[in-house]
Amino acid sequence: MGSTQHYVIIGNGVAGNEAAYHLRQRDPESRITIITAGRLLFYSRYELPRVFHENCDWRDFLVHPVEYYANNRINVRRNSFVTHVDAHRKTLSLAHKEEIQYSQLLVASGGASYLPAELDEFAPLLNHFNLYSAACKVRDILPKQGKVVMLGGDVLGLDLARNLVNDGYKVVLVATEHTFWPHRVESDERALFLGALRDMGVEVIEGVKIELIEQGAAGMSARHILFDDGREIFADVVMPFLGLLPAADFMMGSGVDFERGLLVSTNLRTTDQNIWAAGDVCQIWSPEENQYRFYYGWKNVKKMGEIAAKNMTGEDIHWETATDQKLYIDKNRQLVSPYWEHD
Amino acid sequence: MKETDIQLMFCGSAGDGTIAVGDIFKRAMAKAGYKVIAFDIYPPEIRGFGKCISRVRVTSRQAYSLKQESDVLVSLNDSYAIPHVPEVRDFGSVIYDNAPITSMAEGEHISGHLLPGQLPYGLRIREISDQTTGGSKSKNIVALGYLAGLFGIKPEPFHLIIRDKFKKKDPSIAESNLLAFDTAYTEGASTFRLDFIELGAPERQEIGSKVQMMTGNAAVVRGCLDAGLDCFFGYPITPATSIMERLATELPRRGGRLLQTEDEISAIAATIGAGYAGVRSATATSGPGLALMVEMLGLGVISEVPSVIFCSQRGGPSTGMPTKTEQSDLHLAVYGGAGDAQRIVLAPTNVEGAYRCAGKAFEMAEKYQTPVIVLLDLYLSNRYETVLLPRQNPFEGESSKHRSRVERGIPYSRFAFTEDHVSPRTIPGEEGGIHVITGLEHNEMGRPNDQSDMHNRMSEKRHKKLLAALDHPGITIHKRFGDTGSVDVGILGWGSTVGEILEAMLMAQAEGISCSVMKVVMLSPLPVEPIQHFFSDCREVLIPELNYEGQFANLVASAVSKPFTRFNRVPGVPMQVADILDQIRRLAERAKSSSAA
Repeated sequence: MGSTQHYVIIGNGVAGNEAAYHLRQRDPESRITIITAGRLLFYSRYELPRVFHENCDWRDFLVHPVEYYANNRINVRRNSFVTHVDAHRKTLSLAHKEEIQYSQLLVASGGASYLPAELDEFAPLLNHFNLYSAACKVRDILPKQGKVVMLGGDVLGLDLARNLVNDGYKVVLVATEHTFWPHRVESDERALFLGALRDMGVEVIEGVKIELIEQGAAGMSARHILFDDGREIFADVVMPFLGLLPAADFMMGSGVDFERGLLVSTNLRTTDQNIWAAGDVCQIWSPEENQYRFYYGWKNVKKMGEIAAKNMTGEDIHWETATDQKLYIDKNRQLVSPYWEHD
Repeated sequence: MKETDIQLMFCGSAGDGTIAVGDIFKRAMAKAGYKVIAFDIYPPEIRGFGKCISRVRVTSRQAYSLKQESDVLVSLNDSYAIPHVPEVRDFGSVIYDNAPITSMAEGEHISGHLLPGQLPYGLRIREISDQTTGGSKSKNIVALGYLAGLFGIKPEPFHLIIRDKFKKKDPSIAESNLLAFDTAYTEGASTFRLDFIELGAPERQEIGSKVQMMTGNAAVVRGCLDAGLDCFFGYPITPATSIMERLATELPRRGGRLLQTEDEISAIAATIGAGYAGVRSATATSGPGLALMVEMLGLGVISEVPSVIFCSQRGGPSTGMPTKTEQSDLHLAVYGGAGDAQRIVLAPTNVEGAYRCAGKAFEMAEKYQTPVIVLLDLYLSNRYETVLLPRQNPFEGESSKHRSRVERGIPYSRFAFTEDHVSPRTIPGEEGGIHVITGLEHNEMGRPNDQSDMHNRMSEKRHKKLLAALDHPGITIHKRFGDTGSVDVGILGWGSTVGEILEAMLMAQAEGISCSVMKVVMLSPLPVEPIQHFFSDCREVLIPELNYEGQFANLVASAVSKPFTRFNRVPGVPMQVADILDQIRRLAERAKSSSAA
């Protein structure tokens, strides 16, 4: 590879940054640009629950020190929104009307929180925990020993739930079909796992649907939730944890095949020879299962970033279909997800 | 109480309102009670293109100079702002338009140039301006509102200044701009902040003084007026023009007269003429103008007529760099002209000093019967500072003491030799005060005389009478800062560069370097003894100045025998604090190793 290559990576998460690292190792003279809508450098979202019990700011969550980017000549274009990718011209457009030319493009834009249509009307009353700013907002509005209602309870939510409980907050989990996502949980296991959550101090409500979420009355808790069976809860914060959807709307019209995520072969190349994808945004072909499927978790995503970078620079490494990582209950009766493990 | 120290940099094209928004910001902050120091850089062209930068430092206590790195950059034009992105500190903020109307090629948007440690704040600047004012002219107000909201600065002082700014226009213009400001303020206030920029409470005002924000040139005008300036003659030249512009408004209101002459030669001739007639008179120019004035200046010296000349230096020689700063007219001010034409030269180091030097220059010109040059530079002329001006006028009125020496029945000698070398002075029409005045060497009566003894005595008189100015009351001739007694490094400075020198000294002290600064305000006659004393206290001496060969260093070299280090730069912009600090560190190392040896 020569020095004229411009590798553009859309996404500033685990996959994108792992790819940038390997691209720099393998092509020292190239240009590497990471484009992200966020305003921060790569930080660990797994560490975000620390905002509740430490006097820390966003710099404490950075995975790499600031100098890393200058030393490795990785340009991170923050607060930049990709609106369109033109695979034919090998360009992408940013919302502020700047056009960027790439030699090879890696889409690693991750996933966005999923919110079903029936909850749309309550969106302004819901809090998220996917970004540093969102985590700080929850920290700021949640009183000490306050109550959090968690809708669904995917693995990110459950990770937060166990931290909140340990910190003395009350957590109510409204279990849905998204609870434990992305783990595939059989019905007999589900009862065990919910029981383990109860043992951990999480209050679990099952078999109900949200009828109403509204602002609490003055002097009362900030949120009032009404269920279809007539039950009601007052809480300080309501947070949906209902899994992720690939965040790649900008790829629409690019000519690259897209199903629920970007479709890639086992070497992580899309249907365009100069566009690759890694992380939560892509569905990888599984020859064994004869279908495209998602893989989640820090380790999987990191591996994808590495493979994509190596293949973008001339190798031909293939994603090996991993066996599903299972949720389990440890000897201390604690629910554990392998997806919580990270560097 | 938390100390405030933030610096903002507005950068845009001429016509973007860059200087105007910097002006509103600094006025609002001064109104809120903070101390401000600010400096604008603008192109030589009048309008329409070229880069404009307005830097504003806001502090709890008055700072000596601008900081090298800004905390916030506001881009009103990305192509001009991009080169200045590296001037924003790590974890500082960059505010820019993230919804421009035209497409751009890669690299043309500022977001692609931010350094990893800097924080981006994109805003629909043009869009909000369009929505609230019907046009894009208020982009600057939008950016201002956003940053005020973002950093939690109260909007009221901004409202007052914006209303004042547009008070002469249709009221709807002020209202739409206030709407633009408030809309952006709300956006700023609701933006999640990632920076660590905080404003503490402003410091309380000292009793008996009045805080005002003004430029060096405005301070000169204020000093002139408080000192009772009667007549001003001038010819416009950057960066001195604003002195004449302000006086054109202010002086007639106080019964004074101002005349724009056809050139600088006429201006100095008229100034000396008015001084001869007994009124306080002044002119203002820059280096090229002073070069034209020096012949007449010699007449002022030999005829011992009071006059005040303000010279704001810019990049030279010749037309040079009219909108860039430099300290390269010192030789011209001290030595310029034919013969041994001694004169007083003062160089204030900050805006308050400009006020005091301006007023005291008239006292000195009269008391020592000589031209007095007040040497400023573009940086000092144009920079804003909040200053504490005394409520009581600190300047002496017109002096009549020397005229009282005219006694009836005794022949009047205009150039009589006296103990203090200052002769009794009369003004035309004064009874008993008839005398001859000429550019020729003369005797005590003023009659031409080229005898060697007379020339010797008159030269001595004209020289020695000025030495008393070194003890003139009410003005700082020189001052020492920092560590007292023996130090490793001493820094000797003059003019506007002293601000950067003092900042560097504070940083060096924080690093544990023993150092001290001496500023010299009177450059002619030079306070030789205090300078020699300072040298004896310092193992190493550094003289930083904004000229190529070290013109002040040359003056100092004639007064001290000890070696010192020159640090000369001609970048056209103020000296960098970091550069001075590097020199101090280097000399401190040398001082330590030499003392160890």
